[in-house]
Amino acid sequence: MTFGEDGERLGRVLGTEDVTPTVFWFAVAPGASVGLDDLVVVRTMKPDGREVRFYGLVDNVRKRHEGVTFESDVEDVVAGVLPASVSYAARVLVTRVDPEHFIPPQPGDEVRHAHGSDLDMALSADKMKEAAFPAGLLADGQPLPLNFRFVNGESGGHINISGISGVATKTSYALFLLHSIFRSGVMDRVARAGGGHTAGTAGGKAIIFNVKGEDLLFLDQPNGRVQEREAEAQVAKGLSADRYTLMGLPMSPFRDTQFLAPPRPGSSNNAIVPHTDQRAQGVTPFVFTLREFCERRMLPYVFSDAGASLNLGFVIGNIEEKLARLAAEGEGAALLVSDWEPEGDGELPDGITFDALGKTRLETFDQLLSYIEYKLLEEGDGEGDPKWVLKQSPGTLRAFVRRLRGVQKHLSPLVRGDLSEAQARQYRPNLLGGAQLSVVDIHNLSGPAQMFVVGVLLREVFEHKEKYGRQNTVFVVLDELNKYAPRDEGSPIKDVLLEIAERGRSLGIILIGAQQTASEVERRIVSNAAIRVVGRLDLAEAERPEYRFLPQSFRARAGILQPGTMLVSQPDVPNPVLVSYPFPAWATRRDEVAEEVGQSVEEVGEDWLGL
Amino acid sequence: MPPMRIRLDPWPVDIEGGQLGLQHFEGDLIDIETPRWAAVAAKPVPARLHTVYVVDGKRRMESRVFIEDEAGEAGMGGFGAYVVGAVRMCPHGSRQAELTDVKARRLLAHAPGLRVDPYRLSPRDPHTGTLQYTPIVTESADPLAPLHKLQQVMLAEEQNLSHGLASAVPFSEEDDREALTSLTIQDGSLRSKNLGGAVVGCVKTMQTQYLPADRASLLSELRPGERTPILHMKYANSPYTRFIWYVRLCEAAFYQHPMSGVMRLEMYAPDEPDFLPPIVREVANVSGNLLCRLASRAHKDPRAPQNLIPTAALESAMTRAMGSADLVTRRLRAHIARELGVVA
Repeated sequence: MTFGEDGERLGRVLGTEDVTPTVFWFAVAPGASVGLDDLVVVRTMKPDGREVRFYGLVDNVRKRHEGVTFESDVEDVVAGVLPASVSYAARVLVTRVDPEHFIPPQPGDEVRHAHGSDLDMALSADKMKEAAFPAGLLADGQPLPLNFRFVNGESGGHINISGISGVATKTSYALFLLHSIFRSGVMDRVARAGGGHTAGTAGGKAIIFNVKGEDLLFLDQPNGRVQEREAEAQVAKGLSADRYTLMGLPMSPFRDTQFLAPPRPGSSNNAIVPHTDQRAQGVTPFVFTLREFCERRMLPYVFSDAGASLNLGFVIGNIEEKLARLAAEGEGAALLVSDWEPEGDGELPDGITFDALGKTRLETFDQLLSYIEYKLLEEGDGEGDPKWVLKQSPGTLRAFVRRLRGVQKHLSPLVRGDLSEAQARQYRPNLLGGAQLSVVDIHNLSGPAQMFVVGVLLREVFEHKEKYGRQNTVFVVLDELNKYAPRDEGSPIKDVLLEIAERGRSLGIILIGAQQTASEVERRIVSNAAIRVVGRLDLAEAERPEYRFLPQSFRARAGILQPGTMLVSQPDVPNPVLVSYPFPAWATRRDEVAEEVGQSVEEVGEDWLGL
Repeated sequence: MPPMRIRLDPWPVDIEGGQLGLQHFEGDLIDIETPRWAAVAAKPVPARLHTVYVVDGKRRMESRVFIEDEAGEAGMGGFGAYVVGAVRMCPHGSRQAELTDVKARRLLAHAPGLRVDPYRLSPRDPHTGTLQYTPIVTESADPLAPLHKLQQVMLAEEQNLSHGLASAVPFSEEDDREALTSLTIQDGSLRSKNLGGAVVGCVKTMQTQYLPADRASLLSELRPGERTPILHMKYANSPYTRFIWYVRLCEAAFYQHPMSGVMRLEMYAPDEPDFLPPIVREVANVSGNLLCRLASRAHKDPRAPQNLIPTAALESAMTRAMGSADLVTRRLRAHIARELGVVA
């Protein structure tokens, strides 16, 4: 007898409702309590004596008075005049039939709680073997296994998380999954089983774009409240241990982290300090040099709506090419141009310098824009340089310049030519060579600058992975996908995201994307995600076709999910499963940071004052 | 002369006899409680009466059969099922009513002189149970004898159940050991002999007008819960004596005859009409309150208010306990086909 056969008897399959191989009802036995999401197993005998087992998940429960005809009879029943019994029944969605004989169970068959090996069968954990890692706790306190092969790109890849904001669960769950991936040892187990073709945890990297608040800047700090909150949850849910212990995960913050933030604009004497308000220590500012901007063809990422006009796209491509050629000559952060003839004092912006050969030296983004404007609209009495203009109409050119000018303010602090070689090296964002977990804080940037940073960094990661293959898995966590890859418009960032979604999984780039409404995100990105997670949804949103993978009862329930619970759907299990996941062990806000033992008063004070 | 008045019988026309019959009664009727013929108000149910049982029985003939035994004898018989059961409830409403002892039994009644083995029908599917028919000999070879036998067995069982559940009724003035703690309400008139329990029979119809014309008018004047005084009754051609009284369960609607909400109650009485056991008086006193609570309502039960709520629930539970008649007949046919080696 295996452990699974000892599961508590919950009831018997009903004969008054249809019994099908995929859905059936069972009458709950007196004294048993069955709720949504309970996992059950039914064994039935075929006439030839062979056993077929049905594993499933309770997706509906109901009680009613049995033996009474009228609704008003409830008064007589309670008054003790009319005998009636309460019928308590539950509906099961079958997740697995083993062996695969799709016969219906027999009415009267025993329904038991799935435990141990039965639970593994119900959730297909037996197929996952070493690739299983915990994705949260089921209603009965057992961990839900998720198949890492559907995360790392081997059989499938990418994770998509939907849920309304304010409940603040999307990023939390994404972080919990990262924690589980990195600390459960699944990457190493899968790497070993695969014969060492992938590097395991040591080679795994994660990049998180922090788009709101400074929530993610304290991931390396322990959370002062986690012990208390987990103890509360343990009592409230009647668990045998805290949720981290039950899942075999350490209750500790992220290790090996780096925090990147853009420089603070307009700081005195052009010092490069990170633009963060709550955390100053341990945050590295990042900037791009003007030469990199041109050489590495970042210009298209300035235009998030380039797809709107064909002509504009043509101009962008042309200028991008011209800038790349300019950058190919010379070295250093600044650009040298020889064909910008200052004709009068008023023509050139302040601060333009000339090098020994009489070339004009562009040291700021503003100067680069002025130069482009000159080449397109001013040179040759307003005709522009014919090689730059390429017979485009002045209207298109002006539109181009106007858009560039529009983002000038946002990009000036980020793209600079006045850096020394050493500075440029120090402040170049290093996402793949540095720490295991990189948090790129872009919440202080304006919309266009956020798009620019995300687009440029993701493309770099993608190009790097294209060169070096899927040896090391890179997880990219990006919230608000609907902003970066909207369903209707095209943009260079969307192109990068689409590339990642469609080809990334074979290159070892895994997108952990989140959005409020999956219906507003490019369909190909959402549909490429093997693991789909849903938190609380607006009920109207839940009825959109993007959520068809949720059975109707789950869609209705998505409207009442509490923070800390998620519906997780994975390819191995045909139905989504509700899980709860623990309170973060890492600080998500400054006031959650646990007091470090041994931290001096001065240090704490300096931290608080942001010194 | 008063004008002619027509009013409706409350019961549906397809129920034989209706609620009111008004046949003439031949027998003795004696005032035993009081000579004063007037309505008696209901008294509250005493706290020590903690359990009330409502008992009923039901039977069904499932198939008539022709039996040939191994010795070559032949005769008629029948497969039948019967069920008796009870609803246990608290007269104070402190706990929920529940069905108890509702279990179907099956008989294979057959003519005398035959050797018949127990008949067991095994199921075709798992989980659908077996049917076991116990052989029982009828008094005669009459074709209706199996039905009568079935009825007889059922009534005996019902009687045993009723009296087994109820408090005992002492039949001497001095005996005060027994108090009324549990009472059985039995559906219909009391039959056969007294087994000594506090059993009250509820007769829903008024087929016979027991009261003389000068007293019958009180029945129309009773208000809900009120009762008539208790009478000692002896049928002209029956050895059994009863106490009877009438209770009104609800007001009659304006279009119904004025006795439509009235019910007759019976309890066993000693032969000699000189002693009213205190328990009988106590039962009569609480009967108005108790039965008004149990009375059904017209939109839920066609025989309201006399068909009590627990009785109706018990009836449907008993029908269910016997199983679907169609299925049982089919099982019998399939079983016989298998026995005879016919591929069904």
